[in-house]
Amino acid sequence: MIEIDKLCKNFGDLEVLKGIDLTIRPGEVMSILGGSGSGKSTLLRCINGLEEITSGKIIVDGLDVSRKSELREVRKKCSMVFQQFDLYPHLTVSENITLAPISVLDLEKSEAEKKAEELLESVGLTDRSHYYPAQLSGGQKQRVGICRALAMSPDYLLLDEVTSSLDPEMTAEVLDILKKLAGQGITMISVTHEIEFAREISDRIVFLDDGKILNDLPTSEFFDENGGLSDPRIAKFLSKMSGR
Amino acid sequence: MYGEQGFTAYDFVLWAEGLGVSVGIFLASSVFGLAIGILIGLTRYYKVPVLGKLLMMISEFLKNSPVLVQLFLVYFGIPALLEIDITPIQAAIITLTGNTAAFGAVIVISSVEAIDTKQLEAARSFAMDEWLILKKIIYPQSVAIAIPLVVGLAINQLQVTSLISVIGVVDLTRVGDIVNQRTFEPFIVWPIIGGTYFILAKLLGLLGARLEKKFSAYRYQAGI
Repeated sequence: MIEIDKLCKNFGDLEVLKGIDLTIRPGEVMSILGGSGSGKSTLLRCINGLEEITSGKIIVDGLDVSRKSELREVRKKCSMVFQQFDLYPHLTVSENITLAPISVLDLEKSEAEKKAEELLESVGLTDRSHYYPAQLSGGQKQRVGICRALAMSPDYLLLDEVTSSLDPEMTAEVLDILKKLAGQGITMISVTHEIEFAREISDRIVFLDDGKILNDLPTSEFFDENGGLSDPRIAKFLSKMSGR
Repeated sequence: MYGEQGFTAYDFVLWAEGLGVSVGIFLASSVFGLAIGILIGLTRYYKVPVLGKLLMMISEFLKNSPVLVQLFLVYFGIPALLEIDITPIQAAIITLTGNTAAFGAVIVISSVEAIDTKQLEAARSFAMDEWLILKKIIYPQSVAIAIPLVVGLAINQLQVTSLISVIGVVDLTRVGDIVNQRTFEPFIVWPIIGGTYFILAKLLGLLGARLEKKFSAYRYQAGI
């Protein structure tokens, strides 16, 4: 369980998160929506300790993200997939996936490689394990990014606008994989602009506006005329996004 | 007539000795200098308080003043300041080490900063610690970037070693001077001496090209 309590985050004078309270239960698939600058990526990055918290608390399975000694354990539980993939360019696909499992989780090399192969197979990249990232398309890179995250056997998967750098065709191939994952019981927290995708996979939608949670509803209610859509800000956002 | 005694077999021995001294001083100062340069670069990269700034100030001075002046400062200054004796070879190694370190630090900083920092963030998000990130991600990529720059620096520092002849080190250049004064054959002596430096520089270049190929395999394969 992830418990976020009165989370505030400032960048200098700029208040990005202004008191977020949120509880994410195991197995939940949650999407965080909101306009640019609403703080949704920052919220996700705070969970993994990539941004230092200004005030408030984030507790992941009893571990305090703000404590250096506990952050490492939190990071083992929460794997992240990034907008720009951020693969290691000097390592092959297989090495990208096995680096952290071998060096952080102390997995045997052969075991880690076997797992990487399985993961690559599950995302349709069986024959690419010896390629370098620069030899892959954007969609392939992001699929490797997903494998790299899953190789840590995380309890929580944090997805930071994972399709924003991809063209529609590649977006579809990545979303297909995530849809499959969402049905497998892993807790997923996804920051996204893909409204339809969010609607399809999520149990719950959190809508951020100006650093605060404007709405936190089960998916069906969020998209209901009398639910989330009754808020003009959400209605406006959704019509803008779907009109793209 | 003075100065026209012809070449002797012993001149070859002198040449070999001078070559040994030049190469030895070059190697020693390069190894120490690069090691110190890496440390300076890393203190700067990790923003070590006080030390990072201080070392950069010293290296700024070393980069922007003549090596010959630094050599005199070390050779004549250290004995006066610390009241210890210092041989010309020691002075030469100290000076060239400092100079190589100063330029090496710049290469280290620029090579490390050329790496995309977002992948380092990704590594951190997977619970990798800073030492692991340095070893597995920063080091291999920055070495690939740094090699051509280091080779350029090394070739330059090799030529700079010829300056040490002025404080009495019998290096390759000084041997040339000695033989030239005796034989008075400048158009034989100096092309040989110059050619020796040229061959050494070419060897360094070849070594560098091989190393670069090895460390940059991922860039070549990917066609970057």
